[in-house]
Order: sequence, then C-alpha cells, then structure tokens
Amino acid sequence: MSELTSHVPDPRLLTTYAEQGTGPLHRINAWTKMAVLALAVVAVTIAEGLLTVTAIFVVVLAAYAAAGLPVRRLVAWYTLPFVFVTVIAGPLAFGIPGEPIVAVSHPFGELSITWEGATTYFTLLGRGLTVVTYSLAVWMTTRYADMVHVLGRSLPTPIDQVALFAYRFTFVILEVIEALLKATRARGGSLSENFWANRTLYGRIFGHTFIRALERSETLLKSMQARGYHGDLTVYSQVERPPARELVVVAVLTAAIGWYALTIRYGVIA
Amino acid sequence: MAHIHLPEGALPLWAVALWSVLAAAVLAYAVYGLRRDGLEARHVALGGMVAAASFAVFQVNIPVLGGVHLSLTALVGILVGPSLGAIVAFVVNVLSALLGHGAWGFLGANTLVGATEAAGGYYVFAALRGQNWDHFPAAALATIAGLGAGSLLMGAIPIVSGIRGVAITGGDLAVYMAALVAVNLGVAVIEGLLTGSVVRYIASIRPDLLGETAQVSQE
Repeated sequence: MSELTSHVPDPRLLTTYAEQGTGPLHRINAWTKMAVLALAVVAVTIAEGLLTVTAIFVVVLAAYAAAGLPVRRLVAWYTLPFVFVTVIAGPLAFGIPGEPIVAVSHPFGELSITWEGATTYFTLLGRGLTVVTYSLAVWMTTRYADMVHVLGRSLPTPIDQVALFAYRFTFVILEVIEALLKATRARGGSLSENFWANRTLYGRIFGHTFIRALERSETLLKSMQARGYHGDLTVYSQVERPPARELVVVAVLTAAIGWYALTIRYGVIA
Repeated sequence: MAHIHLPEGALPLWAVALWSVLAAAVLAYAVYGLRRDGLEARHVALGGMVAAASFAVFQVNIPVLGGVHLSLTALVGILVGPSLGAIVAFVVNVLSALLGHGAWGFLGANTLVGATEAAGGYYVFAALRGQNWDHFPAAALATIAGLGAGSLLMGAIPIVSGIRGVAITGGDLAVYMAALVAVNLGVAVIEGLLTGSVVRYIASIRPDLLGETAQVSQE
C-alpha cells in the first residue's frame, strides 16, 4: 500500500500502466500523443460554451476508458482539480449576474448563484478535467523510454538534462519518502495528528529526503564520471516519426480547431 | 509553493503566450548565468535530484487547513541557488502538469512564480546568514519572504490577464485575488516553519550542502 496521499496520482503506478498496458492508446506514437496534448490545450482554451467543453471532455474520457485505463481511480485523482476549481472559481461564480437559481438573504444583502454563474463554473471545471484526463492518459500509455526520448528532444540543454535526472530519480526518492514514513509509523509516530506537534518530525523527514537526494546525486555522478559522463546524458531510446495515418489525424484535428477558431469563436470568416 | 490553480483555458491565448515568453526569458537568463559561472556536470545532477525530491515531497499530505501539499521551492533556492532553482521550478511544473496538477497553459506563469520563490529564498537566506542569524529563523523568514513574493505575483497574473468566462475584472477581481494571496501567505508561514526545521536538520548533518563548514567545538 502506498504511504503517500491517494488523491495525487503515484508516478510509479502511472508508469506501470505505461509499461504493461497494451490498449489502443499504448500503440500510438509518443510524438502524436504530445501533439494531441498541445491541441487539447488549445481546444479547451478557445472553446466557448458549456456544451462545446462538455463534448470535448466526453470524447477525451471515452478515449481514456477505451484505452483500458482505471476510471474509478481517475475519479479519486479528480479531487485536487475539483477542489481547486471550486475554491478559486466557485466564489467568482457567485458574482456573475443573471437569473438566480438559489438566493440567500444575509445582513449585507443577498447572495445568489445564477444560471450564468453555474454555467461558468462547470465550463471551467470541464476545461480543467479534460486536460487532466488526457495528461494522465499520456503518462499511463507512454513507455518510460519513449517519455525520456521526448523530454530529451523537446527541451534545450541543460534543462533537458535536469528533467531527465528528475524523471528518473523521482521513483527512487518516492521510495525514500515512503520508507521514512513507514519507519515513523513503526515507531509510533504520526503525521496525521497535528502539524505543530510534529513539525520537527516533518522537518527531519523532508530534510533527510533532500540529504538523501543530494548524496545520491554525488554518488551517481562519481559512478557516471567513472564511465565517461561529461555532462551530457545521452538518450539511446528512439521514437520513430509518427506513421502517416496518425499525421493525418493530427492534421484533421488541427484543421478542425482552426476552423472553429476562425468561424465560430472569433468570427474572422463569416 | 504558490501555484496558480486556475483550470486549463482560464487564461486567454495572448496571456498564455506572454507569460510563456517571459518564463522562457527567465530560463534563458538562468542557463546563461549557469554557463557564465561554469556549468559543471554536478550542477546538472544536483538540479535533477533536488527537482525529484521537490516533486516527491509534493506527494505528502500535510494535515493542515484540510490538507496542504508543499514543493519547498524556497528550500530548493537555498540549496541550489536562483539559476538552478528556476530550472528546477520549471521541471517540477512540467512533471506536475503531467500528473494533472497545474494547467499546461499556466506552465509559464507558474514557472515565473516558482523562480521568484527560489530566488527570494536564496537571497534572503544568504543575507540573514551573513548577519549571523541562526539557521531556523533565517530559513523560515527567507521562505516566508520568497513565498510572499511568489504569492503576490500569483495574485497579479490573473488580474493582468483576466479570467476567461468570468465577468469580474479590475478592482473586484483584485479584491478576490488579494483574499487568495492572504490564504497563500498563511500557507507560506507553515512552509516557512517547516523549511526552518528542514534547514536546521540539514545544517546539523551536512552543513556543506548549505555552503558552510561544520562548527568544531573549542575545548
């Protein structure tokens, strides 16, 4: 059982799905998935109206489910995005004028949620959950080696090098934290009682995590330098150019989004 | 770490482009600074490891205010400096966006916020240690200052950009964002106390990681 919070996806679980899955999304080229991710971000950014956003969300969710990815876990993983949209966009929705659904009187006046406010809230939520769903699907259907290749090719040096180290050792550091939390619990310690009483414990756990991370980086560097490393982490995995049929799909999606933007969204073409 | 948690599509495209270009400029300057000062392989490994640790720590739930997740950005700044700290902030934001925590459209904006926190943490900590402050108060205050600056930027970005689909703008939006900044400052105090404990622990075990030498008691 993971010692970590359940409403944040565990990168190790996501990577297990990526390595062991054989669904339709697993067979799609990594570059294609990244291109569609960019298109999804643009699509939800320019999409206007609850109906359009809901349609995009349903399509992405259907693709996620068809890929054999865990839908029930996804609901748990929606917790953070849902809380953030509710906390940040929820109060804003109360300030949007329109026809009230519910109105509550208070000493300073009246607090009401309008149809327009509710629509705004659900539109923002739909936009957020669409990209969250697709991002998780990308991670859970792209093999580690392919992800490394894409990261290595997409980012400039030395940012790519830092990203490659970070991605690789996230799994190691997670195990360090879990071991520390288990050791704490085995000795009768608790992190869930109250923060103030446990602040030193938290400090030691996080401090030890960083010390272990830094010591590992020193050890790793020495061993890599002994094998000829001079600051360039070479990626040997190879992701081929996407096949023609996938390029056609990306082109069609791009054209559809472009058409929507020019005609419906911005009215450049009547 | 202050983080703009607005959902994908909340910023207009021009704002996404603006903050992305500014973040790219900050990252370019960070890379230039690292190369000017002599970028070594150990810096790269160090940055990657600290980014991994920061990302992993984020997955631990702190049972305060219903649950808080920390990225310890100011601590990252204290440990690796402002240039590498900016790169680490970017990498952590990329990994977080892949996990669905943080919108891709806010990658530029959130990188600017993270870089501000790392730089603030680094410079304030260095200044206070230069005045012979003890590790705990120096790190705590540096973190609160860094996160405070990050929170102000986090509040300013939606005011400048506007939020798509939300009719509230200008002064009304500023009042709302000010309330959010105030909440973030509360979290900054919690993270400050925690970072103070972390730095004190690191100083007791590996003071060299803070660029210091161990204190040898005179007998």
